[in-house]
Order: sequence, then C-alpha cells, then structure tokens
Amino acid sequence: MTHTTIVTGAGGWLGRALLASFSGVWGSGDTSIGGESHARDGVLRALVHTANEVAGVLVVAEGAEVHVGDMTDPEVLKRLFEGADGATVIHAAGVIHPKRASDFVVNSVGARAVVAQAITTGVGRFVHVSSNSPFGVNSAPDDVFRADEPYRPYLGYGRSKMDAELVVRAAVDAGDLDAVIVRPPWFYGPFQPERQTSFFRLVRRGIFPMFGAGENRRSMVYIGNLVDGIVRAEQQADATGKAYWIADARPYPMTEVVATVKQALADAGIKVSERQVRVPRLFGDLAEKADGFLQERGRYQQELHVVGELNKTIACDISAARADLGYEPTVDLAEGMRRSVRWCLDQGIEL
Amino acid sequence: MIDVEVLVIGSGPGGALTAARLAEAGRQVFVLEEGDWIEVGEHEPFSLDQMEAQYRNAGQTVALGRPPIIYTEGRGAGGGSEVNSGLYHRPGPELLDDWARRFAIRDLSERDIVEHSREIEKTLSVGTVPGAVTPASSVIERGGAALGWATREVPRWMVYGETSDAGDGERQTMTRTYLPRAREAGATIMTGVHVDRLVKRGRRIVEVRATKRLAPGISEPLRFRPEHVFVCAGAIQTPALLQRSGLRTNVGRTLAVHPMVKAVARFDDAINVPDDVPVHQVKEFAPNISIGGSASGPGLLGLALAPEWARFAEVTADWEHSSLYYAATRTQGHGRVQALPFLDDPLVTYRLTRGDGKMLVHALERMVHLLFAAGARRVYPSVAEAVELRTAADLTELGQRLKLRDLNLMTVHLCSSVPMGEDRARAGVDSFGRIHGFDNVRVNDASLLPEAPGLNPQGTIMAIASRNCAAFLAGAR
Repeated sequence: MTHTTIVTGAGGWLGRALLASFSGVWGSGDTSIGGESHARDGVLRALVHTANEVAGVLVVAEGAEVHVGDMTDPEVLKRLFEGADGATVIHAAGVIHPKRASDFVVNSVGARAVVAQAITTGVGRFVHVSSNSPFGVNSAPDDVFRADEPYRPYLGYGRSKMDAELVVRAAVDAGDLDAVIVRPPWFYGPFQPERQTSFFRLVRRGIFPMFGAGENRRSMVYIGNLVDGIVRAEQQADATGKAYWIADARPYPMTEVVATVKQALADAGIKVSERQVRVPRLFGDLAEKADGFLQERGRYQQELHVVGELNKTIACDISAARADLGYEPTVDLAEGMRRSVRWCLDQGIEL
Repeated sequence: MIDVEVLVIGSGPGGALTAARLAEAGRQVFVLEEGDWIEVGEHEPFSLDQMEAQYRNAGQTVALGRPPIIYTEGRGAGGGSEVNSGLYHRPGPELLDDWARRFAIRDLSERDIVEHSREIEKTLSVGTVPGAVTPASSVIERGGAALGWATREVPRWMVYGETSDAGDGERQTMTRTYLPRAREAGATIMTGVHVDRLVKRGRRIVEVRATKRLAPGISEPLRFRPEHVFVCAGAIQTPALLQRSGLRTNVGRTLAVHPMVKAVARFDDAINVPDDVPVHQVKEFAPNISIGGSASGPGLLGLALAPEWARFAEVTADWEHSSLYYAATRTQGHGRVQALPFLDDPLVTYRLTRGDGKMLVHALERMVHLLFAAGARRVYPSVAEAVELRTAADLTELGQRLKLRDLNLMTVHLCSSVPMGEDRARAGVDSFGRIHGFDNVRVNDASLLPEAPGLNPQGTIMAIASRNCAAFLAGAR
C-alpha cells in the first residue's frame, strides 16, 4: 500500500519547502538551493487556501494532488482525507499576519477541524507546526525557553497558536491521535515571502531599525533545518504527545542577524549601505503597546506588530529535539542567509 | 575607655568568622552583638515564635518602593545563620571571575578562595541529607524531572547521623561553630550592645561609642579605643552605622536583594514539615531565576495568603497538605539604605525596573508550572487580589494580567550596600574590605559583595570574609 502524506498550508513558505523536499525537487543535486532532500514515494496531498496558490505548489511538486479550500470547512477536509487512513499529516497551515485581529481564531478553529477529521480518518503520525508565540518573550537577553514551559501567549497570534496546541494535546491525552508538536521560531531561507524580502531590502539600505544596542537575541531556523526537524518528528516512534523547539543551534543577537544579512548581500555582489539606523529601545515598547491596543479593538497592523517584537529576546533551547529526535541543524545563519539571497536572485527577485 | 586590638561589630556569619580567624591568629578580639545569645533549639525552628525572638522587627521590615519588598534580618549572636535555611553554595569560578573583571577586584579567582571554602565546609559540616528529604523537597525534584528542568539538592551546614532524614540534622550555626572557637581562642563576646557610632580622626577610627542594655529601660554607655574595627552588622545595619559615623562615600547606595514571589501549593498527600525547609532548588534558570521551598508552618502559610487568608481559610485549616514555594530573581534595580537622625532603623528603599517586573512574573509562572507538574491540585500565588489556580489555563490567565505592582514581594538575601573593588567611583571598600580613605576600618559581611549572587549567599560571604582576614593578617594593603 502506498503511503500518503498530507500537508496543510501547502502554498506557504514552509508548505512549499516541505513539498519541494518530499518531491525531490529540493536537495537532489540542486546545490543552487541546498538543503536536505527528503524525497519520498507515495501520494502527496496538499491543501491550499486559494486557487492562485496551486501553481506555486505544482512547481515544486508536480505530482501532488492539490486541494483548494478553507481548512475550517469540513467538506474540504473530508475530501482531503479521503481514504487516507494511516497517512502522515503535517499541519502547517496558519494565519500569521491577518487583515483583522479576529482572523487569528482561524488557527485554533482550523486545528480543531483538521484534528477532528484526522481522528475520524484514522491517520498515522500527525505533526502539528506551532510557534514561539504561545510562550511570549524571554524575560532576560540570556534566557532561553526550554522544551516544557508555561504558556504566556503574545497577543492574538500567540493565543490562537496556544489554543491550537491545546486542541492537539487534548486529542493526544484522549488517546485519539498520535501527534507531535514542532515549534519553529522566525524562519529564513528559500521560498521566502514578500515580508522577508522587504526585511532584506531594509537591511541593505541600512534602515532596518536596530533597537538600543541590539543585544537582544532571536532564535531563528533555516527552513532546510526545519524540514529536517519535521521529518524527524514524523518518524520518531516514541515522541507521541511531545513538543520540540526546532531552531538553529544557538540564538543570534539582533546585531549579528543584521550584519550577516548585509554580508550575504554584499557577497552576492549587491551594494549594501554602510549606515545603520538605531532607535531608542522605548520605541519598540511603544509599538508593542500600540499593537496590543489595536488588537484589543479588533485591528491588526503588521508593521507595528513586527516592530513591537524587534527589541525582544525570543530564544529557545533545542536540546530536547537533539536528544529525542537526533535533530542536528546543519546550516547556520551565514550559510543559510547566503542560500536565501541566491534563491531570491535565481527567482528574479530584486533585493 | 576600653582598649582593644580588634573590635568586631556584629556576630553573624561575617563577624563570627572574622572573630575566630583573628583570635586564632593571636589577636586580641572583642565582639559586640546587639541581640541576645539564644541557644539553637530554644525556639521552634522556622516558627513565628522564632521570628519574633531572633529577627529584627519580628522579621517584617519593609523596603519602600513600588511594590514594597518585605525583608528579614536575623538579630542575635550568630545573626542570620541561626534562623536561615542553612543552604550552602561554594562560590564558583565563573561568578568570581565575572566579579573580579566587572568590579575591579584583586585576587578573587577560585585559587584565592577555594582553600577558604574548604575550611568553612569542614567547620560547618556541609553535606547532603543521608536519608530521606522532606516530602515538600521531593515536590521540587519531581516537578523538575517531569519538565526536564535541572534541580539539585543543595547541601547544608548540618550534622547528620549516618542514616538521618532531613529533619534530624543539627544545624551548625555560628553559635555552635565560629563563635565558640573565637571564645576558645580568647575573644570576648558581649551581647546586648548597640553601637551608636564610630569616631573618626583623619584616616583612622579612634573611638567607638556604644550602649549596653542592662535591663529593660536601663542601659549604660560604653567606649572603645580600637586599633582595628571590622564592621559586620549586615547589609542594612553596616551602611547605616557608617553613615551615622560620617563615612558616606559609596555607602548604602547599591543595596541588592533577590526579590521573591511565593505561592502556597496544595497536594493530595500530606507534604508539610513545619520545622524544616526543602533542600531542593531548580537550577535550570540560574543565576537569573531560582526556585525553591520556604518554611511553611501554618502561621507562615496564613501570612503568605494575607490579606486574603480568610477567603482561603481551608488552606490553613488543612495545612498538612500545603507547603510554601518561592521563585527568586536577580534584579537590575537597586536599593538605598539611609540612616535617619533619632531613629534606630534606617530608611530602606528599593527601585525595581520594568525588566525586573517581567522577570519576576516569568519566575512566578515557571514556579507554578513546576508545582502543577509535580501534582499540585491548587496553587495560591501571593499576589494582590489573590486567586486559586486549578489548571494551567488559570495560570495563563493570571500571567496575562499580572503586573509588577500586583506582586507581594519579600526577600531574605540582602547584600552589596558597601561594594568592594578598586574603582573608587563605585566601590565603598577596597578589594579586601578596607574602607577607601581609611587605614583601620573594614567591612566584612554581605555588604561588600559587589552584587547579589543569584544563590543563597552565606557560603560566598564567609569565603570572602575568610580571604579578607588572611589578607589583613598578612598585612596586605
């Protein structure tokens, strides 16, 4: 019997990376992108939200069965899971930057619908892709989140991703689902969306705001490392009910992130501004407050949200993934950013 | 006028060790102690009765600030060692090197300290529990194991039988160790003496004025003419005495504490051991955050739930199933100690930063998470508008709304009010405790630690005090 792999959120950054890796397009000798190949036989089923994402999926996995629809719609899910008992499910769909704050609820409602359908179908391993947001920000620049921590959701997104984790955990606790939770922080690498490209542009022009001395740290994950972590979470038999941080080997100070992006751009022959805009730390706190204020009133402003998080430390400890899953991040920030820049240039994206 | 070679003011861990070291080296030592000599066991350990008798102001002094921090200071022969939890940490090379570098302190490597630590560990019989630890201590170990957080049994200065359980040890306080040794070597220890001020002339202290309490309401003045003075009255009283004496440079401006948030945790099993404290601590987040257990007699449980204890009366009624836990943090903010004319107690203020508040709330959340992981049925954090937490979801809700000002904070670790170092812009005393600008007056207690160390500090205080005594005897400048 052929194995089926179902990927939700397939049109997104991570979804496309997963499918490209599973189809063998990514990694099999294609060194211009790099990354690990996890080519697999069997059926690849992909769920995308809108029809205009279909082409982007087929480019990376031409044999995939692509379903179009809303992950909260039971009819859509029924078709997606048709005859898929024993299948692997990678639930990577989520709303990160919605138009309205109320749209975050899609993350938990969607998780509930997908989990319910997965239970009905009787799938195999279910890998739930979560986030750092249910855990908020670290309380000191040298603090790191351990594998098991209390929830401290950061605003609307954090709460919705926490609720989604709770849905998955409840299904595991009831003995209904064999699920593992994977928590990536901020990712980078090929298949990056426009928001990451504009980050590169701001850095290139020296106007990406650096708060205070920039000593706050961020854990990041190269998308190839993340795909590897997800596959390991899928395959590790005794990981049911566990949750793992999947990130690069260490958190990076914000100054290092910016300097590394600049270097990667310069190495690709792109002219990089030597200046660096610095902003008093206070502005980050103000942005955080304003973001919270707006979200309480149902509004969401992406720039404000991103700026509000920039002066915070969001760092995690991957030792549990190393110990239990044998996960080892092979690409670091310098190499990963080089690959990201090369991918952008190959796609004809102007930086 | 009493002529003495070395006058030691205060008989806590710093003063007692100083008295013993110098007396054993043949110096003529006179120790002045404000409180009384109370034998170990005279008061029930960790009880309200003991707080009344062996703490200054019955253990309830307040550092003003938003929020205020309640602090406790031991008073009496042996000082804090008579009443504290007895948990010992040897100062490690990372801490010492970091301090030496950041605060310009000479000769503070592990090599300079380790022999002193070894001697102290031997004298105080520092060791772990041979038998069973208390059920309240096992809670911390169990919670840590469930979460994958590192915990450890912290050794204590206790003499145990070969198979003794935690409650059967004999505490090796200063009145059992260094003070008798000092006396044996010829030191005089006088209790009931309040030191009013030091009289300075040029670079020297030429006289010490004190008051001896004879009976309630009856006292007589005492005057000493010392060759050397060691001020070891603790991180609050040492700077207060120096300020009263006109020694004010970098004195009392940098008080550091580990503020603690507490919570009562209720379990299905009987876990409370009223006369002992847990020996396990969570080390996973050291040195920023430390989690451990506190003395938990029924009265202390009630105090932690105050002012809302009436709402949770069943907790104190059913006290055998509950125990108190704390989460302590290091702070960026500092406190001040300011002696006031005509008042015995100095004004103590403490300013916590926004970042300190965030870390304290985070510490509280991690502590409650640990207690639930260890099987707690209910947790009652000591915060304004106290709540009963039954589930992880309750904790999430509380964490989302808690602000620094909502926390009921207390502390037992007071230090750094007269910090040491060669940088005269910041340090009150030199690398060996001698007050900058003076020849014959030294500080040798918690006051001279350059910052709060992030762990129970008595082991560090004593090791540095012992090193300072060696430097004094060797004539180092």
